[in-house]
Amino acid sequence: MVELKFKRFTLNQRIEHILFFTSFILLAYTGFPLKFPDEWWSRWMIESVGGFDNRTLIHHISGLVMIGVSAYHVIYHILEKPRFDILFHPKDINDFLQQVKYSLGFSSEHPKAGRYTWKQKFEYFGAGFGAVIMGFTGILMWHPFEAMRYFPLGVIQIANLFHTWEAVLASLAIFIGHFYDEHLGKFLNMSWLTGTVSEEEMRHEHPAEYEGIMGSYAPGNPEMNVPEVRSNSSAGSIMIMGFAKLLFTIVFLAISTWMLWISYQVLVEAVNTYIL
Amino acid sequence: MTAAGAVAASGEREDTSCFQCHSAQVQEFAKSVHYDRNISCTDCHGGDPHISGAAVSVSAMSTNFTGAPARINITETCSKCHSEVTGVYKESIHWKELEKGVTIAATCTDCHGVHGILPSTNPNSSANLENVPVLCAGCHENQTKMSAWYYGIKTDRFDTYKKSYHYKALLSGGKGLATCTDCHENHNTRNESDPGSAIYAANLASTCGKSGCHPGNSAVIYGGKVHEGQSVQLLSIDTKALVTYFYIAMILFELVFTLGLVGLDITSKFDIRRRR
Ligand code: HEC
Ligand code: HEC
Ligand code: HEC
Ligand code: HEC
Ligand code: HEC
Ligand code: HEC
Ligand code: HEM
Repeated sequence: MVELKFKRFTLNQRIEHILFFTSFILLAYTGFPLKFPDEWWSRWMIESVGGFDNRTLIHHISGLVMIGVSAYHVIYHILEKPRFDILFHPKDINDFLQQVKYSLGFSSEHPKAGRYTWKQKFEYFGAGFGAVIMGFTGILMWHPFEAMRYFPLGVIQIANLFHTWEAVLASLAIFIGHFYDEHLGKFLNMSWLTGTVSEEEMRHEHPAEYEGIMGSYAPGNPEMNVPEVRSNSSAGSIMIMGFAKLLFTIVFLAISTWMLWISYQVLVEAVNTYIL
Repeated sequence: MTAAGAVAASGEREDTSCFQCHSAQVQEFAKSVHYDRNISCTDCHGGDPHISGAAVSVSAMSTNFTGAPARINITETCSKCHSEVTGVYKESIHWKELEKGVTIAATCTDCHGVHGILPSTNPNSSANLENVPVLCAGCHENQTKMSAWYYGIKTDRFDTYKKSYHYKALLSGGKGLATCTDCHENHNTRNESDPGSAIYAANLASTCGKSGCHPGNSAVIYGGKVHEGQSVQLLSIDTKALVTYFYIAMILFELVFTLGLVGLDITSKFDIRRRR
């Protein structure tokens, strides 16, 4: 049997994504222990990277990587032929409502998303604005006394406030939302590494795009580089896949619990100091 | 000193007649820096050092015996040998308040202990840099103690310090970070409005600019608030509150939205089977 593979990410995009998420994970891993120094896991996490100074070094270097890859991404897309399919579209609202209806069982039809679902657009711009906020505020906090030559101390304290809050918000979105939508929900989604997705996923997740491509698809057409035709790879053993999914689910639940605990803490503290 | 010498020396002192009746003080004293420097009970309390243990007698407390110094006179006891430090201390608000009759203001023994005084480099010393916040908090975070002095005195100093990078990093294993006494001096602790104070606005540049802290940053911190935080008004609204409200809303939204959709997705997976 022959399986169609659809190109999803260029090599350039895959490298960007890998750099972005490794720096993100390292930043969260070295940032949160500092926010909650009293907790048992804080000490443990700091020791695991070889002490406080290493923690700081890793946070700062990963910060530079994140800033670098974000800047590169923006410049690349300005120079590249502009594309607009990532922008929000009124149809996204319908898609969202349709998805809720479908999930609640009021409709048996899935929304027909194009190349990017409404949620992927949210995640893209969320990550984008998040990186901008974290980058600018992080730079101010890096050398506070240098920064104070240009801004009053209050501005740096506000930068710190943004940094702390946005860290929680971004991590919630990534570690719960993104991990569930793209990885646990589509297990085992290796498109970030291979750059391609299966025909089944295309039909299910991006039906409008799928129809567009298949409409002009003629096997052997040299113009067509999407989809790629590949022979069916031998399906991995069900046992191994099941075990991997179980493992991933456990990790996902652990991180989600941690994130929910953090959110609870910051909300309680903020409500106590600012509202009560 | 050889081990044998140490045993002989301690044996000699434990043989003093004071030991027979005040074993608690003697045992505590035996761990102290003063004991290591061959200082004996009589250096502080007077009395006859020559009366041996064999002749247990209250007459040990006769010759020049001064007894336990009153709180206001403790400095006299210490100044015999630490005249310089005592001189500095006597410039401080703690001493000035004590002199005025505020008996809870800190004197030597509140910060260093009485008989078990350790060098401040010893991690068990209450005046050790890492223990200083807890030491000062013992009074400055204690509502009942402090409000007995005057109503409205700030008792949030440790709480506010806890939110600072200095404390968080200190707890996380960072080195060389400022604690209370780095900013308020060990002995010459003064009020904010006192021009001789380390925290007098015009002196902050040199206080923060100590070598190893933030050198070469003259005057930039001027007027900055460390505990209270600098308030920044935007259209006469407190910006920090604004940022906090914004992120409370964002995080609540994110939680409801993400968890809601994950929940819907999981439940709908069972529905699909029923629908088809
Ligand atoms: C025979 C037992 C005995 C001996 C020996 C003795 N004391 Fe005392 N000491 C007492 C008693 C009894 C008191 C009074 C009760 C109390 O305050 O605990 C006292 C009280 C004190 C006080 C507190 C005084 C006050 O104002 O509250 C000091 C200080 C003191 N002794 C120091 C010494 C020193 C220093 C020596 C050795 C040079 C010594 N004592 C030897 C029995 C003794
Ligand atoms: C460095 C000076 C110093 C030395 C040395 C010293 N004391 Fe004291 N002692 C004090 C001071 C100061 C007080 C008063 C403490 C207070 O009122 O809080 C005190 C109080 C006491 C008291 C009254 C009860 C108490 O604990 O408050 C006794 C008893 C006593 N000392 C016994 C001794 C004995 C016995 C020795 C020798 C082993 C000794 N002291 C060595 C400074 C000293
Ligand atoms: C008889 C002299 C004498 C008296 C009285 C005395 N000390 Fe000392 N003290 C010393 C000596 C000697 C040392 C050791 C100094 C050193 O190691 O450089 C010392 C060390 C100390 C240290 C540790 C210093 C460090 O290196 O961190 C402290 C704190 C201290 N004394 C506090 C006090 C207090 C508080 C009193 C009064 C209750 C007092 N001393 C009374 C002689 C005395
Ligand atoms: C408000 C708390 C406080 C009070 C009150 C206080 N000290 Fe200290 N003292 C400290 C701290 C904190 C240090 C230094 C810790 C460090 O730098 O590691 C220190 C250090 C010292 C040292 C050793 C270092 C030096 O500066 O020489 C001596 C000796 C000392 N104090 C004696 C005294 C005497 C005597 C008194 C009373 C006159 C006194 N202290 C009152 C907190 C206090
Ligand atoms: C034994 C209790 C006690 C301890 C311990 C103590 N203080 Fe104080 N402190 C006081 C009192 C009482 C005052 C006087 C308050 C006043 O007059 O406003 C005071 C005043 C001050 C002031 C002036 C502030 C003001 O509102 O006037 C500063 C700053 C200060 N202390 C810092 C410290 C630091 C730093 C430490 C720890 C090294 C410390 N204190 C330890 C009791 C204490
Ligand atoms: C980084 C330096 C720094 C550190 C660390 C620090 N303070 Fe302060 N403190 C200040 C400054 C500056 C002020 C003046 C008011 C302000 O900025 O909020 C102040 C004000 C105070 C006051 C009120 C003084 C007055 O005159 O009203 C007290 C009391 C105080 N601090 C106690 C503490 C205690 C206790 C700790 C440790 C738990 C501590 N501080 C840690 C810098 C510091
Ligand atoms: C994008 C570039 C970033 C830079 C330049 C940066 C820089 C900094 C700096 C300078 C600090 C102060 C403490 C220190 O020196 O280590 C800090 C703290 C912190 N960072 Fe970052 N950071 C970045 C991104 C992130 C990201 C993506 C996260 C988490 C997802 C994060 C989480 C945190 C947290 C939680 C703190 C502690 C804040 C507090 O004390 O409340 N950072 N960061």
